[in-house]
Formats: sequence, C-alpha cells, structure tokens
Amino acid sequence: MPGSLKSSPKTLETIDERLKQCGVSRRAFIKFCSSLMVAAPFGLALTDKLTPEAVAADLGKVIRPPVIWLHFQDCTGCTETLLRPSQPDLGDLILNVISLEYHETLMAGSGRQAEQTLTEAVQKYSGRYVCVVEGSIPTKDNGIYMKLAGRPAMQVLEDVGGKAAAIIAIGSCASWGGIPSADPAPTGAVGVADLLPNKTIVNLPGCPPNPYTLLGVVLQFADSGTLPELDHERRPKFAYDRDIHEHCPRRAHFDAGRFVKQFGDEGHREGWCLYEMGCKGPDTHAGCSTRHFNEIPDVWPIGIGAPCIGCTEKSIAFRVPMFQVVQIHTTAEPPATYAPIIAPQGKVSPMATGLVGLAAGALAGAGYVASRKFSSVPDDESIPGSAGARKAPSDPGSGKTSEQ
Amino acid sequence: MTAQISRRQALLGLVGLGGTVTAAATAVAEEHPAHPVATPDAVGMLYDNTICTGCKACMPACNEANGLPPDTLLSGGLWDMPSDLNSKTKNIIKLFEEPDASGFCFVKRQCMHCLDPACVTGCPFGALKKGDWGAVTWNSSLCIGCRYCEVGCPFDVPKFEWNKWNPKVVKCEFCYDRLKKNDQPACTAVCPTGAVIFGKRIDLLAKAKERISSSPGKYFENRVYGEHEAGGTQVLYLSKVAFDKIGLPKLGSTSIGHYATKVTSVIYKWLSGPVLAACFLGAVIKRNWNRHEAERPEREKETGLRDQL
Amino acid sequence: MSAHDATGTTLVNHWQRGVPVYREPVVTRTLIFFTGLAAIGLTLALVRFFSPLGRFSGMNDAYAWGIWKTFNVLTLTALGSGPLALGMAAWVFNRQKLHVVMRTALVSGFLFYSTGMVALGFDVGRAWNFWNILLPWRWNAHSAMLEISFCMPVYCFFFLAFENLPMVLERFYYTGSDATKAFLLRWAPAVRRIYPFMLTGAYLFPLMHQSSLGGLMLLAGDKIHPLWQTPFLPLLYLLAAGFCGLGFVTVLLLIACLRYTRPLNAEILAELGRLLSDVCVLFLTVRFGDLVWRRQLKAAFALDKTSLLFLCETALILIPAVALRNKTVRETPRTLLRMAALACLGGLFFRFIPTTIAFFPARNATYFPSVPELIMTLGYISLGIVAFSLAVKYFAVLPGEIKDWNYMFKLVRQRRAETVRAE
Repeated sequence: MPGSLKSSPKTLETIDERLKQCGVSRRAFIKFCSSLMVAAPFGLALTDKLTPEAVAADLGKVIRPPVIWLHFQDCTGCTETLLRPSQPDLGDLILNVISLEYHETLMAGSGRQAEQTLTEAVQKYSGRYVCVVEGSIPTKDNGIYMKLAGRPAMQVLEDVGGKAAAIIAIGSCASWGGIPSADPAPTGAVGVADLLPNKTIVNLPGCPPNPYTLLGVVLQFADSGTLPELDHERRPKFAYDRDIHEHCPRRAHFDAGRFVKQFGDEGHREGWCLYEMGCKGPDTHAGCSTRHFNEIPDVWPIGIGAPCIGCTEKSIAFRVPMFQVVQIHTTAEPPATYAPIIAPQGKVSPMATGLVGLAAGALAGAGYVASRKFSSVPDDESIPGSAGARKAPSDPGSGKTSEQ
Repeated sequence: MTAQISRRQALLGLVGLGGTVTAAATAVAEEHPAHPVATPDAVGMLYDNTICTGCKACMPACNEANGLPPDTLLSGGLWDMPSDLNSKTKNIIKLFEEPDASGFCFVKRQCMHCLDPACVTGCPFGALKKGDWGAVTWNSSLCIGCRYCEVGCPFDVPKFEWNKWNPKVVKCEFCYDRLKKNDQPACTAVCPTGAVIFGKRIDLLAKAKERISSSPGKYFENRVYGEHEAGGTQVLYLSKVAFDKIGLPKLGSTSIGHYATKVTSVIYKWLSGPVLAACFLGAVIKRNWNRHEAERPEREKETGLRDQL
Repeated sequence: MSAHDATGTTLVNHWQRGVPVYREPVVTRTLIFFTGLAAIGLTLALVRFFSPLGRFSGMNDAYAWGIWKTFNVLTLTALGSGPLALGMAAWVFNRQKLHVVMRTALVSGFLFYSTGMVALGFDVGRAWNFWNILLPWRWNAHSAMLEISFCMPVYCFFFLAFENLPMVLERFYYTGSDATKAFLLRWAPAVRRIYPFMLTGAYLFPLMHQSSLGGLMLLAGDKIHPLWQTPFLPLLYLLAAGFCGLGFVTVLLLIACLRYTRPLNAEILAELGRLLSDVCVLFLTVRFGDLVWRRQLKAAFALDKTSLLFLCETALILIPAVALRNKTVRETPRTLLRMAALACLGGLFFRFIPTTIAFFPARNATYFPSVPELIMTLGYISLGIVAFSLAVKYFAVLPGEIKDWNYMFKLVRQRRAETVRAE
C-alpha cells in the first residue's frame, strides 16, 4: 500500500482514519483484508467473516493499538521472521494496523532520539499499549549483561512492561529464556513471565515462532481487547495445543515404520520420518507442521529434512541433544499391523521341565526301591527291610537303628 | 439321659450356627436360571464386522477414557500395539484372514457383559458384580486376586496385572463412569462408521435381526452371536464369517453360573444339606463314641495306660 | 477287640497304640536337607509376597492358576484326606480297630492341609483384602471359591487341629511336672465331652470343601475337556479324596514302618486295602456311569492325547481296585504298597488333570511352572516332611506295641536317674 511511511499522529486513531490519512485506497485495503482472511489462523473471530468487505468494515473501526517493542538478549530473529511474509505485507500491519511506537530495528531514529520516543510513548499510552518483548532478560549480577541506555534490562522491563496493558513475549528467549538460558546460562537468562508473573502475558515460543501467530494475537487484541485462550504455559491454544507429531505431513511414514537411518540415505531422499534421527516432534507443541515458513510449502525444519529440535519447549530446546530420540507419549494409532485372533501366551522353561522330571523320576525310583524292601509273603508282619521271618521286637536293645 | 440332652443341645447349637450363617449367605444369594433374562434397562453394544474398517479408533479412545497407558512392548516403545486384551488393553481390534488369503475381516473384542456372568458367580467377595444397566464392574477393595474370574470366563476376558505388586483385574467395564453421566461408552462414541453402536440390548437385538432379515445370507448363520451364548450376553455380534473363526467360542445356551450351581444351590439352600449331614453324622458318631467310651475303662485297666484319642 | 496274653503283647497284631520314635536321633542328614529346602521355599514365598506374581511364577492370563492352587491345594489335600476317610471309617462305620492308625492319618492330614493353606496364602495377588472374610454380608454365597476360602482354614486350624490336640496334650502329660499333670487331668473330661462334636465338624467340613474343590472346576465350563467336565465333578473329587487319603495313609504307614523299624500289622493293613478297593470301585462306577450318561465313552477310547491321559489315570485306579479285592494281594506288604501308591497316583492325576492339563483356555497358550514356582512348591512339601519327621519323634503318632511304649518309659526313667546321679 502506498503512503505507508507517513509519520503517525500522536493521538490514537482508527485504522480507517489512518488509511485515509495515508492515502491508501479502499480497494488496496480490501485486498489486504482478503489476504488477512487467508493468512489468519483459524479460530479467531476474523475467520468467521464471509467476505473481505465484512472484515474491512470490522477492522476499519478498530483503534490502532500502540505497540512498544523491546529487544533484550535476542538475535532479532523474531523481528526477521515477521518481515518474511508478503501476503499480507507485515509492513502494512505494523505501520497501519497497529501503531508501532518503538522498535529498535525498524525505527528511523537512534541514540537519545530513540530513548526519548520510548519514554514519551510509555508516558502517553500508559496502561493502554501492548509491549512486545523479544529476547531473554539477564538476571545474574543484577542483570548487567544487557543494558538499554545504561539501564539494566530487568529495570526496563519492569518499567515498560509494568505499565503495559498486555505483554507479548515473542520467541523462546522471551517466553522462557531461550538459547541464552542453555547450560551454563552465564547471564542467568530468564523469560518475561519469570520476572512479571502477575502481568497478562502471552508467550509465543519458537525459534523463531511463526509470524502468523503474532498476527492472530495482535488482531484479536486490537479488535476486542481480549487475548486468545491460553494454556498453562500462557501459550495461545490455537497455535500450541497440538504437538508436531499429531499433524506432521510425514506421519504416514512413522505409522508405516519408514524411518531415516542416516542423513542422505535413501529414506532421507524419499522424505521419510525423522523420528530415529532425534526428531522432537512428539514432545513439541507448535504449529509449524501446518503453518510453514516463508510462504513456501514445506519450508520448515522437518520439511527440509532436518529433525525438529523442539525449539518451543523449555525442557527440550538447547537441553536435550538434537539427535536423542524421544519417547512417544500419546496413545498413537497403531500402524498397519493387527493383533491375531489367537495370540501366543506363556512359555516353557527347559530348566523347570528338567526339575520336574528329576523330582518325579527320583520319587518313582525311590518308591520302587522301597517297595522291594517289603516282604512278598502274605500275612508277614515282620519289620520291613529286615532279613528273615517274623521278628517280634521283644528285645528292644538288639533292634538295629536304620541308617540315615 | 446325659447323652440325650447333650445331643439335643448339640443339635440346637448346630441349627443356631447354621441359621446365622444362612442369614448371611442368603443375603447375597441370587438365582441362576438356566436361561437368564435381561433387565429392561440392560444396555448393549452391537458390533457388525461387515461395517468395521479396522481403523482402531476405539482402541486409543478406550485407553484415554480408562486412563490406561499404551502397550508399546511389541513396537519398541513407538506405538500402542497389543497382541491381545491384556492389563493395558480393555478393548482390541483383531484381524482374521482366510488361510488362502481370499478374504479378511475384523473383530472387536472386549468384555461381553454376560447376562449371568461366570466371573460374577465365582468371585468370592463379589468384587466383580453386575450393576446398573447390566455392566459388569470390578471393585478393588473386595478383590483378593484369586483369579477365579480368569478361570471361569468362557471368553478369556479378565486380565491380571502380573507385573505389578498391587495387581488389578483389568477388563472393559462398559465405561461405567460415562454411563452414569448419560454418555455412551468411548468406543461406540468414537466409531466413525457405526460398526459398533450403543443402545438398549433389546433395541440392538431388534436392529440386528432387522439387518439379518433385510440381507439374508450376508451374516453367518443368519443369527446374532450373544443372543443365547452362555445364557446371553449384552455385547452382540454380527459377522460375515464363522464366529469361531474370529475367536468367538462355540457355547451352549445355558448360563455357566447355572451349570456350576445347579446342584450346590439345592444342597446348600438354607444350608439344609450341611445341617442334615451334621445331624446324621452327629447322631452316628455320638452312638459310636458312647460305645467306645463304654469299653474304655476296661481297656485302660487291662493295659494300665490311658486311652489314646 | 484283639486277643492278647497276660504280658500285654498281642499274639496276632503289633499295633496297639501310638508310640513315639525314640530310638532315632531327632536331627538327621535327611532332616537337614528337607529343612534347607523348606527354608529356601519359604524365603522365596516371602519375597514373592512383596513382589509381582509374574516374576515368580510362569502363570499367565490363559492359565491363571499355577501349581500352587492346583497342586498344593486341589491335589495334595486329597492325600491329606486321611482324617476324613479313615475317620469316617472308624467313627461312622465303626471300624474300631482303625483307631490305632488314626493319629498317623491326622498328623499327615493336618500337615498337607496347613502347607496347602500356606501355599494358598502366598498365591493370592491381593491378600490384604482377605479380611472381607469376616464380613458375611460380602460373601458371594454361590462361589465355590468362597466356600473353600473359609471352610478349609476353619477345618484345618480348628477341627483338625483339635483332633491333633490329644496327642500334644499326652506328651505334656507324660513329660510334664505334677502341676501340669493335675491341670491336664482336670481338663481331660471336658476335651472328651466336646470331642464327638468336633468329630462331626471334622467330617462335615471336608465333605463340603473337598466337593467344592471339584465344584471350582465346574465354572470353567467348556474350557475343560468333556472327559473330565461333568456335573458330578464335586462327587468325584470327594471320592478321589477318599481313596487318596486311604491310599496315602497305607503308603505312609508302610514306609514309616520301614524307616523306623516297626513291625507291620497285616490285619489293619488288609482292612485299609479293602476299604481302598471299595472306594476305588465306587469312584470308578460313578466315573464310568457319568461318561456313559453323557455319551462320552467314545472319546475315552479315541486314543488321542487326552484319551490316553484318561486311560492312564483310569488304569492307575482300576488296577488297585481290582487287585486289592484279592486277599493275598491285600495281605502281602509289597503288593499292598504298590497298589496303594498306584491308587494315590491315579487320584492325584484325576484331580490335577482338569485344572491344568485338560484345561484349554485358548489355542497357542501354554503353561509350565517356572523354577521359583517349583522350588516354592517343593519347599511347602518339604516343610510338611520336616514337620512330620519331628512329630513322629516327639509325639505318639506311629502305631506300635505296648511293649515298646513301656520300654520307652523304662529308658526315660533310666536316663533321669543317671542325670540325678550325675548331679
């Protein structure tokens, strides 16, 4: 859309007003809205609308929420990920749909100008702006490892994040600490929720996360002031309620037992399942398997043949070795093998059979030998086993004790 | 005189004892008719293997509804792949293939919830009992782990946790908790094709018969398995191949509980048998004892030693 | 009543009362061996009690009952039915001369039963719930399992134990102090007065539970081969208990006389042989009558595996039944022993086969006891053997002559005098 680089006025305005001011044509806006309908994740109110006109009508009345974007211990990858899509052009998003007040990578100003912008924005929109945090916050040694204009990140977060209406922690670093928090975590890196547990925070973990997730969250907030339903780790359910394994395009290979054994082998070339290469898909909650990256289908780690490293999960990413195989927890559908009508059960131990044979044989043998010690003469009342005829034990002293 | 009074006292004592035990026993006593009748609220499942596609959705649904872990022993920890009903599997889909590979079909196996279950008849403290809607459930605080239920079941359904120190008896319980909430069992709820459906036994039986009459020759022997087998079961089967080929045993129409108790229920009714036997034995023994005692003094005097009992 | 001369020694019979074995040392090498075996078995049983069942046995879901229930309880208690069979013969059918061998039967019966109860106790998987036995409203009156669960322990530890009590009290009487003697003399009449009622119970209860043991297998229905599965199973099990008990007592008496150098008593042994034959004949009549009535005779002679098993078991019972009708066979110790042993074996076969061998839960299922299972079984049996060896030495169990008894007391008095002199 042309005219996007006009500076924004200092008051909050609706998107319609903004677009009119920037000279964006209605037609261009409707086109933007139709691309929103396609790109926006399912489950948001946006996707209930049937025509782009309806979306435009709704969206037009939305007051552009002010957004302050903070960078802490980051690689700027999350910002980069936002800039990849072209449909819709996220430049339009950030400049026309929202009012991006402060963004170190994208803003024109720097130095004291930037500092001033930040302070002013925080003051002016206090309690109403959305604070997006990218990067982890160091806590060791009073957090001196990341300073913004001489102030430690912890302080900046407390100040700026504290006055925000809501905080969106984008990326694994802001969500739970990310790469800087991996062993030995020299800076004591933590996520936003660890420092401001009582604020309304939406975590969008991922390294980087999918840009459309941010889009969905921001749009909903802008539209209704509410945030999407979150799970116990404050991640939006619409993007993080399932694990990669449940929706993986290579699942059929998993179910059929077709696994890559070595990078570059036949299976790898055929696109087989990467479970045995250490894919963390079964344990990783994210939407990457359905919403790929860079607007090209199959551009995502597994799609290009690299096993998932579980970058959204605090317990997996940068902790569990990349090629270590995970356990499958879900009661997964069995593969194309079935139980037989009669399944074999029980086994016979040869040693046990031997033992029984031995005992039985010994008993039979002993019994036979014993029986031979008895007299074969009827009416014989002698002591069995003793020689000779009737022997009354009237002389107890002469009775031989039988051997042991 | 003394002997007579003692015998009378003995009789009274025995009758008193017998009465107490009878009262307790008859409290639990139930009839075992040869051909039991289902209660009107008896629920059932109708499984038709001409509709079943073998998708096995019922298996993870059952595991989830019952909190059972997957049985990954045979798959090297990858997926739920039981070879039979076992202590982690209350419901299983099995495949039958004709030996000449000319055809195949599936069968869903789980507890049959018999109208007069052998397991319930045999369980010493009633841990397995036939409760509401005819569902046969297991109570862990009454079970002593004697495994008589496994010996008695003609369908080999109850499974024992041989590898646990606190072993349970594991078998389908008709998703009793879901039934209480007016919900249907997990397997019938999830079945995508309607191969297994839930309903009142009487309705399902009618439906099955309707299916048979509308397609004669489609189903084996044009009959429903479970209508009369072992006195009747609440899980009914329609199959295109012979029932014994899919593992459903050939059974008579008499309930096993009836067969096992038809003589003892008469002899032990109100403990009449034992009481009569005790009276008869007591009378004879007392008479012989008196004879023995009468000879005793003489014998003791002869030998100079006390009589050995 | 047998003829006897003035010296107290009978002219015809040697067995006049129970006499302890006093010429043997108590501890022998065999005793140590069996004690060791029993100790190993019981230790394993204790360990098993605190571990999963599957680890210590070869049982599986198809064959849920291993050899503890089916062998130690179902089968060996038939051998332990000596008190029942002999007792009924002595007290109900008034064969008074059998009284002298009653104690041997009682001790062996008690030991078979108590080791069987030990085996049963270590076989159940959830033993902690057994306290439900004390709540009669929880009993399932139609369960044969329940019947044996309370009938067998009550019989063993109440009635049978009481029947064994006089023997124990007798030892206290003869070896105790004057105070003990006075105490026992005061209570002896009371014991005698309730004895007949205890006897009634002691014959009523085994009638119930030995038949219930057969009733247990009724529930298995078609899983048991039709040659064994019959509504008459309880009666057949009871009759088998009868002739096994008789047979085992005969064998035990003969072997004990061999081992402890006691003379035989042909009259009593012949009597036992006769009774054994009678019960075997009764058993076979019922057995074959049942097969004919159920039209299974053809299967019996089909000469397949189960048919051969059946014929083997029948032969083991038929041979003694027929042979022992012959007076010579009954009165010859060697043949009597062999026939009695065959009858016992046949009875054991009959009671064991339907539980495991002719039991077909599902094709492709097999069961064989594992080594720990076998060791535990042998341990329980060894415990019985050890207890029996000790019992015959301490108590007046095995039958002997009055002369022997008197001589024993002479020895005791001599030894006491020596100790007094030494002090």
